[in-house]
Amino acid sequence: MVNSNEIIDDIANKEYEFGFSTDIEMDMAPPGLNEDIIRLISAKKNEPEWLLEWRLKGFAAFKKMQFPKWQHFEMPVIDLQSLCYYAAPRKKKQLNSLDEVDPELLATFAKLGIPLNEQKALSGVAVDAVFDSVSVATTFKGKLKEMGVIFCSFGEAVQEYPDLVKKYLGSVVPHSDNIFAALNAAVFSDGSFVYIPKGVRCPMELSTYFRINAQNTGQFERTLIIADDNSHVSYLEGCTAPMRDENQLHAAVVELVAMEHAEIKYSTVQNWYPGDKDGKGGIYNFVTKRGICKGNASKISWTQVETGSAITWKYPSVILQGDYSEGEFYSVAVVRNKQIADTGTKIHHIGKGTKSRIISKGISAGRGDNSYRGLVSVGPRADNARNFTQCDSLLIGNQCGSHTFPYIESRNKTAMIEHEATTSKIGEDQIFYLNQRGIDSEKAVALIVNGYVKEVLNQLPMEFAVEAQKLLSITLEGSVG
Amino acid sequence: MTSDMILPFYQALTEDVNALSAQVPSLAPDTLHDIRREALDRFTALGLPTLKTEAWRYTNIQRYLKEFPYELLTTATPVAAEAIDKAAIPELDCYRIVLVNGHLQADQSALPVGKGITVGAMSAHTDAPGFVTYFNKQHHLVNESLATLNTALFADGLYIELAANTVIDKPVHIVNVYTCERHAFIQPRHLWVLNKNTTATIIESSVHPETTAVAFANSVLETVIAENAELWHYNVQQGEESFREVHTTAAQQHNNSRYHHFNFTLPNTPFTRNNLTVALNGSHTETNLNGLYIANKSQHVDNHTFMDHIKPDCHSNELYKGVLLDNANGVFTGRILVHQEAQKTNAFQQNNNLLLGSKADINSQPQLEIYADDVKCSHGFTAGQFSEESMFYLRSRGIGEDAAKALMVNAFSHDITEAVKVPALQHYLQVQIAEIMNN
Repeated sequence: MVNSNEIIDDIANKEYEFGFSTDIEMDMAPPGLNEDIIRLISAKKNEPEWLLEWRLKGFAAFKKMQFPKWQHFEMPVIDLQSLCYYAAPRKKKQLNSLDEVDPELLATFAKLGIPLNEQKALSGVAVDAVFDSVSVATTFKGKLKEMGVIFCSFGEAVQEYPDLVKKYLGSVVPHSDNIFAALNAAVFSDGSFVYIPKGVRCPMELSTYFRINAQNTGQFERTLIIADDNSHVSYLEGCTAPMRDENQLHAAVVELVAMEHAEIKYSTVQNWYPGDKDGKGGIYNFVTKRGICKGNASKISWTQVETGSAITWKYPSVILQGDYSEGEFYSVAVVRNKQIADTGTKIHHIGKGTKSRIISKGISAGRGDNSYRGLVSVGPRADNARNFTQCDSLLIGNQCGSHTFPYIESRNKTAMIEHEATTSKIGEDQIFYLNQRGIDSEKAVALIVNGYVKEVLNQLPMEFAVEAQKLLSITLEGSVG
Repeated sequence: MTSDMILPFYQALTEDVNALSAQVPSLAPDTLHDIRREALDRFTALGLPTLKTEAWRYTNIQRYLKEFPYELLTTATPVAAEAIDKAAIPELDCYRIVLVNGHLQADQSALPVGKGITVGAMSAHTDAPGFVTYFNKQHHLVNESLATLNTALFADGLYIELAANTVIDKPVHIVNVYTCERHAFIQPRHLWVLNKNTTATIIESSVHPETTAVAFANSVLETVIAENAELWHYNVQQGEESFREVHTTAAQQHNNSRYHHFNFTLPNTPFTRNNLTVALNGSHTETNLNGLYIANKSQHVDNHTFMDHIKPDCHSNELYKGVLLDNANGVFTGRILVHQEAQKTNAFQQNNNLLLGSKADINSQPQLEIYADDVKCSHGFTAGQFSEESMFYLRSRGIGEDAAKALMVNAFSHDITEAVKVPALQHYLQVQIAEIMNN
């Protein structure tokens, strides 16, 4: 494990370290949102007719919707017409191997520490890197193919596995689910596609790295993961963006489908640019993530570490449809400066004997505002359903806010539901104890915070856990007076 | 009921609420006119809550308002003593005050007397200092549309004011009798002012004598607990099938005051909604909110509480427990708001539910909204069943299933009943709970 002292020394005076931008030739669509743009995106990607129709249906739904008003923050004004809905590194031809990828781009990913290069095979992670809206490279494809695992960009999946895509696209998050999902359905440009065949345990972690680079673009990717009967997959997602004064919109959709006895573990370390001290700039991270446990005894587990974005607004959800299926949600959300996080989960218990567990740890510092909002609903058929929820909030400084808004609905008398939430600050006695032992206050806070979020970080794959821990220390740097 | 040309009430509510105001006798035209006018405008602006109104998302009030062709009732007819005795609590040594549809029945009441004690009809005290200072001043009432409706259209209620340094020696038992010949919408309005260094114990209960006409009460109570004052407030809701109720209590506490609120909702009334807001306008206060709801048949019980921690160094403790039988619906919303100034707040909240009916359900929203860092706040929620081990333990000792259940419910509600500080009331409630479970 990395020594937390080193980390803090390391990052002294360092702000957002991924804030560089890459000067690369881009293929951009003109700004604006209309049917022509959607047709243009569809044509650029050489999509079949049914997909274009689906996009147009999404756009029609989008036009009818309005921005919601129930969230616990002031909705920023987003001019959707001024955004570019398609930005891609200019492609000269079909790329066959990494050697052909623009060296500028490879350098960017190298800076980010993404093991795109297959020589880094030792790290054992297959990566699909999405630069602005387009998947630029997917590693380890061949090795995965041997086992029947499909891991590729969404665009490629549409071309090569149209039946699978057609069957599952929009089956969990319909095109009219909410305004951002509808927008995504209309203009999504790329993303990742994973299919794990029956009985296969995916031999390595799958990972996507998202990077917003171009100015005035929105990133609208779509991830679809299908785990067939008795399969298992662990999927990681990481994100960064350059520092810019304007806000950028990220409205992605993630759909997970777990069939009988399948298990999907989805981990996110989100570190989009959070804006500067005064809340200028930063990413609006408005993402719809939902998984369905379709088969009996299936399991979906969400783990998220949210440290970036000006506004994080998402509720990774699980629909527990199959009997004895299981859903989990582990979350750490950190806000500081003027960041806002309104995040949580929704768990729908539909099948018998379904189980869910929610652990949410919020940390607010500076003038940040952190809300947990969650729904646990138990339907009349969900006999013996079981839920345990724990939401803890930690406040650092007297200008931040921390809120808990759980919704609990039980329609079944055999269900057992427990929810508890606490809010407090780091105890002076705890800091005193550590001070006494020669640990200064800042390091003491880092140590206490690490202990506080351990339950969640333990859920992450090892490499990510280290990164997440580092990220937390950086984020909280300077917030203790 | 005096007029035959009454608009259908629901239609009037949604379309022309101003027409209703003509039916309300004016209390004191000069002082109240503006307040009522403003409240009417506010009600028109807010409209009736719908399922999209966040505070009413689990309670469809419109459904209950449309259920019968109500008429606005502002008058009272005398009620026989036997009907009032139904609400009597055995062995309780108290001052019993009888209100019929909100109107004080002086001849049937025993009013506490003494220096500094003012108890009487609201209509007779619109110039009292407490009324002038405190009536309709709480901003929480302005945002609740049914409370604004009450402000605009109430007829009368009970006014209590304790001058500084007074104590009422015995509990005050207020019996709210609701009586009507036709389906009626009744709006009592009360104001209790406890000035500095005062103490009172007040028990409220309601009776709706057996009748075929349905009474819908939309009552509002404002209480002011000034410095060093202490109020023990018990509300026993034990209605009949022909009764529906929206009960709004808005309390404000000042420095070093203590407020103990108990709410008991017992079976049969098909619809009960309790809005309880406590605004902590002073420091070093203590607030205990206790609630027990036992609901049967298709009863809908909605408890909506709001602890508003405005000032530092306050302590609040909230415990609501529910037993849901048959097809009963329970709703609990507990909001704790800690303002940035309210450092050193200690706020605790818990909601436990026993779902015993096969179609019973519970919707709960415990909420923490916190803007101060040096605080300790927590909430907890559970919904479940009797533990099988406990049931087995009792049954293996020869206790029948029903008796065992009654025993467990008694134990479950013990946390609330044991906190009742009036022995006769405590005993009465325990007997009631046992009777409910034995039937």
